[in-house]
Amino acid sequence: MFFTLQELVRWLRMTAFELWLHVISVLAFSVLAVLKYEAVLNLSWWVIFIPLFACDGLNAYFCVIVFIREYMQVDIKAAFLRFLMSGLSLVLLFLFKLLLCQRLSGQRETSVSEVMGPLFVLLQIVMVRACRTH
Amino acid sequence: MAVIHRALFTWFTTLDFLIFLVLKLDTKISWNWFLIFIPLWLFDVVVIVYLTVNMIIHCKNGYDRNHSDLSLRRKGWFITAASLKMIFQVLLCLRLQYLPSFPLYFVMIPFWILATVSAGDMFRGLVATHRRS
Repeated sequence: MFFTLQELVRWLRMTAFELWLHVISVLAFSVLAVLKYEAVLNLSWWVIFIPLFACDGLNAYFCVIVFIREYMQVDIKAAFLRFLMSGLSLVLLFLFKLLLCQRLSGQRETSVSEVMGPLFVLLQIVMVRACRTH
Repeated sequence: MAVIHRALFTWFTTLDFLIFLVLKLDTKISWNWFLIFIPLWLFDVVVIVYLTVNMIIHCKNGYDRNHSDLSLRRKGWFITAASLKMIFQVLLCLRLQYLPSFPLYFVMIPFWILATVSAGDMFRGLVATHRRS
């Protein structure tokens, strides 16, 4: 829309495959969430969140594979830095989804600002990445 | 606009929207939902104006110096995507503010179209990159 796929990859420091996985998982989750909200499906929120958690799991697996390949082919410093930055983004996104799921299923009494906390931290990382884009 | 300007503008509007959203959902403010979405309306207007100006320049000169890799058709899709996002937001605000009994399926239709076509487009880009390498 405002960015081409290459620009997004350069800005967010994510591969096109990771971005594609996120889009697919959000699409699947939105369909399941609407069906639950409209009382067509009678499943728990943990089941509805499966596409989002599966996406995080696949991205983490992908991240480890890239780390091993970079470690073998390039150098340990570059591989470790990439792994650390991708891992941090993944952990923050996973934490946000986990807190949201717990709040929706009524397991924990958290305020919305607490749930959104990891997302705000992630936004600061995204801002630093934007400043380094050229 | 360079990538850094567009990225920072997107970041700024997203951050503002999330702050307003958190305040509204935590019942710290009782604004109308259309006001909560102001950063996103601003983003959409800037995107549509930016793309329209780019398309006019492209049509006038036959090429676009800033985005030489983007065809006119592709820019047309970008405007359609921005419009779909805007329609989704309008429907969502209407449902949240005035029509609580309006079925959520109808609200989500523009989003589902946008996400499905975007996923298909990204997959095509992935396959093209794989073939080139």
